[in-house]
Amino acid sequence: MKVETIRALWKRPTRKSVSLSKLLLATYILLALVAPIIAPQNPHDPLQIYAWEASSPPLAMGGGGYTYLLGTDGLGRDIVSTILYGLRISLVVSITSTAIAALIGVAAGVSAAYFGKWVDVVIMRIVDLQLSLPTILVALIAIVTLGPGIDRIILAIIIVQWAVYARIARGVALSEISKSYLDAARLQRLPTRRVIFRHLLPNSIAPAITLVPIELGHAVALEATLSFLGLGVPIDKPSLGSTVASGFQYLLTGQYWISLFPGLALFGLIASINFVGEDVRRLLDPRNRSI
Amino acid sequence: MKQDSIQRPLLEVSNLTLKHRATSGATTILRDVSMKLHRGEILGLIGESGAGKSTLGNAILGLLTPEFERTAGTILFNGQALESMDERQWDAIRGRRISAVFQDHTASLDPLMTIGAQLEETIRATDGNVSAHQARARAFDLLVRVGIPNPHERYASFPHQFSGGQRQRVVIAIALAGTPQIIVADEPTSALDATVQKQILRLLRELVDETGVSVILVTHDMGVVAEITDKVVVMKRGEVVEADTTSTILDDPRKGYTRRLLAAVPRLRVRSCEQSDNRSSTDREMGSDAEAPILIVQGVTKTFSGQGFPWFRKHTRKLALRNVSVRLARGAITGIVGESGSGKSTVGRIIAGLETAGEGTLDIDGTSYDISLPGQRSGLLGRVQMIFQDPAVSLNPRMSVAETLQESVRFGSRRPLGARPDVATMMERLGLAQSLLARYPHQLSGGQKQRVCIARALLAGPQIIVADEPTSALDVSVQAEIAKLLKEMVTEQAVSMLFISHDLALVQELCSSVYIFKEGVVEDAGSSEFIFSRSRNSYTRSLIDARPRRFTY
Repeated sequence: MKVETIRALWKRPTRKSVSLSKLLLATYILLALVAPIIAPQNPHDPLQIYAWEASSPPLAMGGGGYTYLLGTDGLGRDIVSTILYGLRISLVVSITSTAIAALIGVAAGVSAAYFGKWVDVVIMRIVDLQLSLPTILVALIAIVTLGPGIDRIILAIIIVQWAVYARIARGVALSEISKSYLDAARLQRLPTRRVIFRHLLPNSIAPAITLVPIELGHAVALEATLSFLGLGVPIDKPSLGSTVASGFQYLLTGQYWISLFPGLALFGLIASINFVGEDVRRLLDPRNRSI
Repeated sequence: MKQDSIQRPLLEVSNLTLKHRATSGATTILRDVSMKLHRGEILGLIGESGAGKSTLGNAILGLLTPEFERTAGTILFNGQALESMDERQWDAIRGRRISAVFQDHTASLDPLMTIGAQLEETIRATDGNVSAHQARARAFDLLVRVGIPNPHERYASFPHQFSGGQRQRVVIAIALAGTPQIIVADEPTSALDATVQKQILRLLRELVDETGVSVILVTHDMGVVAEITDKVVVMKRGEVVEADTTSTILDDPRKGYTRRLLAAVPRLRVRSCEQSDNRSSTDREMGSDAEAPILIVQGVTKTFSGQGFPWFRKHTRKLALRNVSVRLARGAITGIVGESGSGKSTVGRIIAGLETAGEGTLDIDGTSYDISLPGQRSGLLGRVQMIFQDPAVSLNPRMSVAETLQESVRFGSRRPLGARPDVATMMERLGLAQSLLARYPHQLSGGQKQRVCIARALLAGPQIIVADEPTSALDVSVQAEIAKLLKEMVTEQAVSMLFISHDLALVQELCSSVYIFKEGVVEDAGSSEFIFSRSRNSYTRSLIDARPRRFTY
């Protein structure tokens, strides 16, 4: 499966024009990777922040020997640097949580399908329950119970997202189980582990994987939402969402830059992930793959 | 009328060449195909999968997707060139002058509309001047015409309330709604049981004789061709191999391919051989087999309970098997014949330990197994191997042939390490090249896949193999090869086989004794010779009569 998937992804970009969204996403990832090198300031380090330069407008000259291209926030942190470092946090949180959620979800869904009976009932009723509650509510409950912190946010997003994967994986696994090759596997008295990992899982995983890019976009948005509500990342390590939130109170006094620029960066990030995700999903969908 | 039809054909396809453009490049689907259809004629288009017969049918219906490109040739219908028509012009032809009947009768009907409404809709769509009242009257007439019993009562019924055969009758009625000149019927009976198939074919013949409509019958089944067609076009890989009247094709085929197709059709012998009739009725139960049977299944009863909460399940309960007893002779093939829903596959799965049964006993070689327990717990699972119907889904698509076969040797084999069979030897014996070992299922043909499935079953070293319709998803010529192979394997590998099929001729060819299943009950049983020549059971007789005469002797 792995080889096929990679091949399917590889085949398409032979088109000469790289779409804007792909370019944008690539830029975001590159910026996140090199943020410590190119950022004029480390916004996580209090020693590099000059509190008396708080709320400087864009293009103001700063005491550190560099221009605040996009101004500073209410604590005197350079907005450019905050965006670059915030990007890192946003991406780490969303990628980690999406990957773990997919893993847990697929495992739960396939187990429900394979073991059936009470395992199926228990897992799928939890899934139903969870999907019937609004996403943000589930996340809020999780955060309130677990407490703040980056790891807690990741956990909250996993709790919100695993159910989607579980439901899809279960459906696919059920249809695979009805195929005769799994009967044949049972007739050979293969160990349960082998039936699941060698036969069932590799054939049930593809549709769930097509969900990953889209859920990644949701994860970024959810993290930003939680941070905006003040339930997210700690104040000294702002993500894109929490920077937007911290600038919110200054909007009325005309200091638009604190919220606006991180907001735009966030918008571009989610949009590019969603567009690229849609492309990837279409490529991975076997129904769209011509032989 | 004959004179007139000879002069001017209703439909004439000349030198049609079609290419299919895909991302991987263009492939020629039809090459230089020509055919003529006259009024009141049934023309059979026959060929194996990939022959291009359905594509030709779709071209005549104007239903080709944009990936198809016509590079040469014309399709003339009443002097009009169909191949260059746009969608608006097609609207005047399709459904009115040329209509269609497809294989899948369930997908051909709207599940949310009553059949009466669907008929009326079609009638009014093809003729704008019809009043609601007239449309209703015509719809009734059509239902009567296609033989739907009690049309007044069934008029407001939904498609799911009909049986498969009746649904196909309704589809034919809809095809007739626009009083067409041509009906293109693409495998109209392939999804139906043999007895129903016969009735539908008879209906088509009657309609042609009465209304003078012409039918293009796309099929892979020589039996269907022999039954009702006037002319036959034999196709192979997009080309016309031979075209002539049906009797000429059947009695005096010119081309080797046609002869091979005909030879591959299993023949049913119904005339009694020179065996005396005076065997006692207990003797016929197991033929002349003196040895103890390897498998004895007795009194198996199984109910399928419906889904849902336990206290609702009672109402959806369905008896799948009732007091079924089957014995399997050692080193021979025993057949189970039945139409869909007769429970024949369920018996096979119970014997293999894949399903449980409420009541009954099962003995393999003197060892009893509790079939009310899941196969893993009773130890039955693994003693019996299976060969499945659809080779497309019976191999793990993500495992190569080598991995599949080695897994069977490693895990499935009940023999000690030293005595384990060799994958390479088995491949060679089954006519599979060593180079196929590295391939994945989607890179194999249907016949090759089924051979791999046979190898997988044999490599596990079972005493018993249950073959559930192992040839019905394959082309006719491949069917014959696989059947021959199964027969040889039973002798060579010293296994006993339960052969489940709906094909009487194939069962006769392979099996020494036969069970006839009907609605979950053993309706008739005996030696192959007894069942096919001397059984007086009316159901057995009706199954035999449903076979095309041409291939029965």
